[in-house]
Amino acid sequence: MSDYVTLTINGSNIRVPKGTNVLDAALEYGICIPHLCHMSDLTPIGACRLCIVEVVENGKSEVTASCTLEAKEGMTILAHTDKILKARKNIAEMLVAEAPNSRAIQDVAVRCGVTEVRFPFRNKNCVLCGRCIRVCSEVWQANALGFVGRGKDRHVALPFHNRPEFCKRCWSCLEVCPMTITPCDGPMKEGEEYFCGKCESQLTMALGSIDTCVQCRLGAGFGCLRAEPEK
Amino acid sequence: MDIAQIDSILSSHAGKPDRLVEVLQDIQDIYNYLPEKALWKVSETLGAPVIEVFRVANFYKAFSLQQRGRHLITLCMGTACHVRGAPRFIDEIKGRLNINPGETSCDKSFTVETVNCVGACALGPVVIMNGEYHDHMTSLKLRKMIEETEEKDKENAINGEDKHS
Ligand code: SF4
Ligand code: SF4
Ligand code: FES
Repeated sequence: MSDYVTLTINGSNIRVPKGTNVLDAALEYGICIPHLCHMSDLTPIGACRLCIVEVVENGKSEVTASCTLEAKEGMTILAHTDKILKARKNIAEMLVAEAPNSRAIQDVAVRCGVTEVRFPFRNKNCVLCGRCIRVCSEVWQANALGFVGRGKDRHVALPFHNRPEFCKRCWSCLEVCPMTITPCDGPMKEGEEYFCGKCESQLTMALGSIDTCVQCRLGAGFGCLRAEPEK
Repeated sequence: MDIAQIDSILSSHAGKPDRLVEVLQDIQDIYNYLPEKALWKVSETLGAPVIEVFRVANFYKAFSLQQRGRHLITLCMGTACHVRGAPRFIDEIKGRLNINPGETSCDKSFTVETVNCVGACALGPVVIMNGEYHDHMTSLKLRKMIEETEEKDKENAINGEDKHS
């Protein structure tokens, strides 16, 4: 098959099969772009926005999520510009505010350079990343979960809020959920949330949460093995 | 509930998941809400995952998954109606029927809903009773409207009994 495209990400020439998204292309070549909602093999939905990059075209650049961006011939991508790092840090900070009880999210935030959370904590138990829904429908072909409701009422639900006969009880939905592992000190009570980020062990946790920024050794500049050398 | 009624609706849409909204509208017309049993059948016949049916049924305000009353009172809570006192109608209804917006009275006679704007701001506050628009509403008018409807219901019930005997 000769259907390949060549693009540059952070100055490196990268060749990937046509149809690959920019995030997967970068990861494949060891360029780490923090991400949360994306899992390779699942359809990207661009829910968390952590994976933003700059696409340079005709001297102009545009910020967009890399997981939902298809790699095209001759594309120029900058994944770690100051602008991106700053925006990504803010996004990570918001995610922590949204769901401080997820170790995976606390961890991604540490790697994105968050040092404090300036937003009010919400302590939600779901960040609407849609990983559970997609693993259920795409890997297990079960279609037992979905987003229900709209606007601020959008949430993950089972049909009629009951576990249907056809649910395979595979529990993949739990396995891939970034919310299933709490920070070391245990679940935080409402009103007592805090930004954890105090210990290194944070970076080695969540082995059960496959493919989050945590386990895929992401986070350029945060001392990860696959990260590109510092400029 | 007679589930067989929906067979005729479904028969012409079998295997066509893109007809979902259409089918749900027809079912809602029959029962005034979407019974769970019917939705399982819809999913089966149309070949749409049941979670998709559930999602769509939840998404549109026009659909209800809870059994609704015989009469639907819709209160407009748009900005214009709001400043002209529409929130008072909620209290009025709460006092009279003991239900909050979105709920149905125990005797299944009334369901109350709020909408964000019906686009008739100049006529506000607007109340819609069973599809009929009433302009420049007041709590008093609303109370009268409810009382009249209850009266009519009672009469109908008596007449109905007469017919049966
Ligand atoms: S346990 Fe059920 S709901 Fe969860 S992924 Fe498996 S089939 Fe889907
Ligand atoms: S339940 Fe977990 S996996 Fe599913 S959308 Fe919410 S945070 Fe994501
Ligand atoms: S938006 Fe791309 S990984 Fe979440």
